Amino acid sequence: MQQLNLLLTSLPDGLLLGFVYGLAAMGLTLIWGVMNVINLSHGPIITLGMFSTFFIYTRLGLNPYIGVLPIALVGLLLGILIYTAAVHRVINGPHLSSLLATFSVNMIIIGLGTAALTTSPYNVDFSAGSFKLGNATILGTRIIAAIVTLAFTGGLYLFLYRTRPGKFIRAVANNRAAAELMGVPSTRILALSFGIGTMLAAVAGGLIATFFPFSILSGSGYELKSFVIGVLGGLGNPIGALFGGLILGILEGIIPAFIESSWVPVIEFVLFIFILLVRPSGLFGAKK
Amino acid sequence: MALLEIKDVTSGYGDVQILWGASLSLEKGKLTCLVGGNGVGKTTLLRTVMGLIRPWSGVILFDGKEVNKLSAYTKAEMGLVLVPEGRQLFTDMTVHENLEMGATNQRARPNFQRNLERVYEMFPRLKERSRQKAGTLSGGEQQMLAVARGIMAEPLILIIDELSLGLAPVLVLQLFEGLKLLRQEGITILLVEQNVQLALTISDYGYVLAEGKVKMEGPARKLIKDKHVRSTYLGL
Ligand SMILES: Nc1ncnc2c1ncn2[C@@H]1O[C@H](COP(=O)(O)OP(=O)(O)O)[C@@H](O)[C@H]1O
Ligand SMILES: [Mg+2]
Repeated sequence: MQQLNLLLTSLPDGLLLGFVYGLAAMGLTLIWGVMNVINLSHGPIITLGMFSTFFIYTRLGLNPYIGVLPIALVGLLLGILIYTAAVHRVINGPHLSSLLATFSVNMIIIGLGTAALTTSPYNVDFSAGSFKLGNATILGTRIIAAIVTLAFTGGLYLFLYRTRPGKFIRAVANNRAAAELMGVPSTRILALSFGIGTMLAAVAGGLIATFFPFSILSGSGYELKSFVIGVLGGLGNPIGALFGGLILGILEGIIPAFIESSWVPVIEFVLFIFILLVRPSGLFGAKK
Repeated sequence: MALLEIKDVTSGYGDVQILWGASLSLEKGKLTCLVGGNGVGKTTLLRTVMGLIRPWSGVILFDGKEVNKLSAYTKAEMGLVLVPEGRQLFTDMTVHENLEMGATNQRARPNFQRNLERVYEMFPRLKERSRQKAGTLSGGEQQMLAVARGIMAEPLILIIDELSLGLAPVLVLQLFEGLKLLRQEGITILLVEQNVQLALTISDYGYVLAEGKVKMEGPARKLIKDKHVRSTYLGL
C-alpha cells in the first residue's frame, strides 16, 4: 500500500521528465540518422542549455521560458559551427574518426566551462506553481517543459515532412550521393541537421535546468540517457525518441517505488543491452 | 557545337587508375550511347563527369565552360542530370517525394506541376503508387521512378546508366520509347547500356569503351554493322 502510494506520487513526475529526456535524445538520434555520427558533444551541449537558463533567470532576471527561442537559435548556430569545424572533415572516414572529433569538442566545452564556471553546482530557483493530483504534486515547470517538448516534436515533424529543407534532410539521410545528383547541396544539409540536433539538446538542457541543480559535468548523465532512449526508440528515428523518452521516464518513476533508486541506471543499461540484443532497430523501428 | 565535351579524362579510386584518357562528346539534341563490357569504367566515367569523383587530368566542358571542379549539385543546377546505376532512389520517401527531390534545381521548380503530369502520363504506374514508399516498388517500377526523377530535373543533358539492366523486355521497350520522346523535345541524352544491340538501334552516335579508353566511335548505324562490334558485343 505504501509502495502504491509512492508509485502514484513518482509516476507522473517520471512521465513528465520523460518528455524532456525524449527531446534531448531526439537531437542525438537525428544526427545519427542523417549522418551516422554519434555526437559525443551531446552532453556538454545540454549543459550549455542549462547554464543559458541560469544566466537568463539569475543574471538577467527574466522568465526562464523567454530563453527557449534564443537557446534554440544559439544551439542551432553552435551545431553548424561544430559540424563545420570538427565533423565535416571526417564525415566520410571511419566511425572512430567522428567519435574522436566530437569527443574533442566535448572536452573543449567541458574544459572551457570548468575554467569559467568551476564544477560546483548551480541552481535555477524558479517555480511555476504546482497542483495536486491525488497524492502527487505536479510541478508547473514539468508541465511547461512537456508542452515545449511537444511543440518542438511537432515542429520537427512538420519541418521534416512538409518543408523543402526538411525533405532535403531526409533525402540526404536516405542517400547522400543521390541527393547531391539531384542538386541538393548535401554538405550544407548535413551542417543544418547537426545544428538542429544540437538545438534540441540545448533546449532540453534549458528546460532541465528548471528541475534540478546542475554543474558543468551534468550533461554526461543525460547524454547516456539519450543513448538508451535512442536505442529504445530506434536510432535514427527522432519521433521514436519521444516515446523512448517517455518509457525511460516512466521507468524512473516506477523503479524507486520498489528498490533503491541507485539501481535505476543499472536497470536502464541492462534494458539498453537487452534491446540491442533482441531488437536492435528499436521498439519503434528505424532506418537500416 | 558539342554540349558536353570530355577530353582525355583520367581518374580512378584511391591509387587505382580506371580511366586512361577517355574522350567523348555529346551533340546537342542527339542521343548518344556509350557501350562496353562489364567493369571497363563506364560508371566511373559518369561519376567523374558529374563530379562525384574528381578527374585526375583532362578537361570536361559543359556548353563550352570548364566544369572539372564543380560539385555534383552545381552541375545538376546547370542541367547536367544523371540517372545513376542501381537507381539510387530515396527508398524511405514516397514516389511523389522522390519526384519532388528530382525537381530541386531552380530551373525545374517553377515547372514542377507540368513535369509531374508529364511523367505520370509516361508512367501511369507511378501515379497509382504516388503515396507509396519508393523502397516498396518492384524493380521495374523503381527504374521508371529513377528515370522519372531525372526528367523532373528538366535536364539539358540526361545521362542514364544501365537503363535496361534487370528489366523485362516489354518494360525496356517502353522506356526506350520514352527516351525517343525526350530526344524529340530536344534533350541531349547519353545512354550507357549493356544491351548494345538495342542501344545502337535507337542512338544517333555511339562510343565503345574498353580498358578505360574510347576504343571506337561512330554513327550508331555504322557501329552496328562493324565486324569487331558485332563479334565482341553482339555475339554475332
Ligand atoms: N567505389 C569503387 N572503389 C574502387 N574501385 C571501384 C569502385 N567502383 C568501381 N570500381 C572498379 O572500377 C572498375 C570500373 O568499374 P565501373 O566504372 O563500375 O565499370 P562499368 O560501369 O563499365 O561496369 C572496376 O574494376 C571496378 O571494380
Ligand atoms: Mg556500370
